[in-house]
Amino acid sequence: MFKLRTNSGRALHPAVPALADQLAKGEIGRRDFLRTAAWLGVSAASAQAFAAAFGGALMAPGRAEAAEVPKKGGSLRFTCQIQEMKDPALVSWIEASNLYRNSLEFLTLVDADNVTHPYLALSWDPSEDLKTWRFKLRQDVKWSNGDAFNADDVVFNIKRWIQPTSKSSNRTAFAAVSDVEKTGEHEVTLHLSRPVLSIPEMLYAYTCPILHRKFEEQGADWPKNPIGTGPYSLAEYNVGQRATFKRREGYWGEPPYLDEIRYIDMGADVTSHVAALAAGQVDVLYRVTIAELDLVKRLPNVQLLTGHAAQTLCLRMQVDQKPFDDKRVRQAILLAADNQKMLDLAYRGMGVVAEDHHVAPFQPEYFKLPPLKRDVAKAKQLLADAGYKDGLDVTLTVGNTQGRWEQDTAQILQQNCAEAGVRIKLNVMPATEYWNIWNKAPFSVTYWAHRPLAVMTLDLAYRKGAEWNETHFDDPTFEAALDKALGIIDPKARSQAMEAVERSLQDAAIMVQPYWADEFTAVSAKVKDYRIHPAHYFKMDKVWLA
Amino acid sequence: MTRYALGKAIEMVAAMVAVSFVVFLILEANVDGVAVKVLGQFSTPDQRQLWLRENGYFDPFFLRYLRWLWHFATGQWGESTHYREAILNLLPERLAATGLLALCTLAVMVPLSLILGVLAGVREGSPIDRVVTLFSVVTISVPEFASAVFLSALFVFSLGWLPGASTMTSGFSWRELVLPVMVLALYSTGYLARITRASMAEVMASPYIRTALMKGASPARIVFRHALRNALIAPVTVIMLQVPWLLSGVIVVEVFFAYKGFGTLLYEASLNSDVYVIEDCAMVSVVVVVSTQLASDLIYAWLNPRIEFGRKAGAGTR
Repeated sequence: MFKLRTNSGRALHPAVPALADQLAKGEIGRRDFLRTAAWLGVSAASAQAFAAAFGGALMAPGRAEAAEVPKKGGSLRFTCQIQEMKDPALVSWIEASNLYRNSLEFLTLVDADNVTHPYLALSWDPSEDLKTWRFKLRQDVKWSNGDAFNADDVVFNIKRWIQPTSKSSNRTAFAAVSDVEKTGEHEVTLHLSRPVLSIPEMLYAYTCPILHRKFEEQGADWPKNPIGTGPYSLAEYNVGQRATFKRREGYWGEPPYLDEIRYIDMGADVTSHVAALAAGQVDVLYRVTIAELDLVKRLPNVQLLTGHAAQTLCLRMQVDQKPFDDKRVRQAILLAADNQKMLDLAYRGMGVVAEDHHVAPFQPEYFKLPPLKRDVAKAKQLLADAGYKDGLDVTLTVGNTQGRWEQDTAQILQQNCAEAGVRIKLNVMPATEYWNIWNKAPFSVTYWAHRPLAVMTLDLAYRKGAEWNETHFDDPTFEAALDKALGIIDPKARSQAMEAVERSLQDAAIMVQPYWADEFTAVSAKVKDYRIHPAHYFKMDKVWLA
Repeated sequence: MTRYALGKAIEMVAAMVAVSFVVFLILEANVDGVAVKVLGQFSTPDQRQLWLRENGYFDPFFLRYLRWLWHFATGQWGESTHYREAILNLLPERLAATGLLALCTLAVMVPLSLILGVLAGVREGSPIDRVVTLFSVVTISVPEFASAVFLSALFVFSLGWLPGASTMTSGFSWRELVLPVMVLALYSTGYLARITRASMAEVMASPYIRTALMKGASPARIVFRHALRNALIAPVTVIMLQVPWLLSGVIVVEVFFAYKGFGTLLYEASLNSDVYVIEDCAMVSVVVVVSTQLASDLIYAWLNPRIEFGRKAGAGTR
């Protein structure tokens, strides 16, 4: 029998044997086993070996893979928007995080299969009640300015995220963390007010890079003073134009293959990015939208990478704004919406239909609720009850932050709702403008990026007072149900606990969340070992050029 | 001449003041928006109030406007809220890029369209005339965004001869200029050729050309010596009108090819409500429009000495 070990060498968490037992009995899948075991501090290698005994290895889709020996050197050109990234804990664009991901590192690493691995933290040991987490840090890490990386850096960052004045989304994500304590030169301990199982996975969120302990003293402007522990250093940076990272000597880990990564801002129009890729002017596109898919498929020397992802659109309503403060109005809109049609027409069916509760069928804690039924007559009745016998006029704000498909989806909802008497006026605005008002408009379309766990999104977006609570949803029963689910280790029991969570979100009718959109990107044929990541987190140190 | 130049200068300043007032009114009426842009969306209301006070945003509107004008006149153009860079660093580079694009376009468009126009206009109804007219009608009716797509599909995706984006990230490249220049030149060449053709045809039908013909002058001499100079007045107006268009009207082409010029700067500034950049770009545009007008007046005078400076009404050529 294969033996399961922890990264720290300490004893296994008491929940691990039961987990292994469930795998052996076939009650949970290998993926669920690997992920949960990783959170509990079990080494990935031992967990993989253990799981392999129950049938084959785990493979992820969307890989620009090579069987050849990697080649060193070369300059890779990556096109994406070059965003401001003054304070990495505050960014609201994943693009920005892909830049600093070359220089700044995280405590943990979540791979494209959603399995958590050690990174700056060598190991972690949760207490039995999951309320105390001890992280052991690497001792061989040096900052690019020569300082040694230690527990002070980690304490500085986590304290900064959770302090009451913090504007970072991390404040909400780590709301359960009541304190962080330095328990050794290379060890920190997190104290939680309630049990949370997914702490290691959450530490790889794009707003969680570990900054140098003197970040604030030195002006709190990372590009001006780009100290990092990562394999590359920032050599050039102009917002809206370009950024260059060069390989740095003295990196603690395995040296990366590329000499240099050049990020080029070509504006928001993906068609010109595809043209540049076709002409060999760039090697990697940040993303391809559904609109360019056919064109990309026809290009020679280009690899199209695709994958399922829990990325979605929330056509959400603010529960304290007229007329959406009347639940009947919101219910009417949900009853009129045709989620399948939005997926089929606006996204050409390339995804999975969703159920208005922001939990995806391919996320581990998903619980299947009865399917939604469209009912226009009932929607009309609800509107009449709410005092809108002659229908209702509302404005829906769309920012097309990820492309035209957002507007296409909104237009189908517009047609759906017209049948029930809700006349939707679309207010289309530029993407960059949208992010300034995204949580202010009473009714708008917000793109939500993939999170490996649904609870992470729910934690961020639907708790009272959360920084990113754009619906102003406030329901103690929902929060109690979520708290309960967050602390359950057993994947099966967790999924059952999610029933109440999903139901309370669906019943509150705060959003039409029509479908889960597959993701696509395209890279040149000479780019090797580039993997699509469901959250668009692109780590470049294993990528090489043929 | 001095009086004329003085008049023109006053005209230019008046136009700039008018434009600046409108732009300022539109962009800086909402002071809270300005503070959010400068300090970022995570700034607190207190920080924004403090910043607004420190920067004199609570002064009367007219005073703020005058102060801003003074800053513009003295070269204190401020920092872009999107690019986080001094506008005085940003703008010249972008202007130069667009200037280069405009120059190349003019260098292709002017000779080509004049030759086509003259050839067509010399003998109305000839096969050459028909071909040129057809070409003009087709190119005028296809908008730039359509020809950009069409030419990219042909030269980038099908033939693979030309680069699809003109970002110039690996340094300057003539090849990257070809497509944007082609799109711009195609659009305006047809129009200019048509104007030249009409103007040439009109001159060729005038009595003095008939006289020259009857005197037995050679066709070449008639065209170059007698007709061309008069026939060029209308095309010169069009060419001069193209210059401001080439500066700001190229937005579509610059954005399509991701060319980092004045057009994309203005476009991105507008998308990001980059107040100071929009204001300064607007002022620069006014300067360009007024100076090209001045230049076109001077060229008129050279082409047609009957035009007198400062006596527009009587000159009869406008």
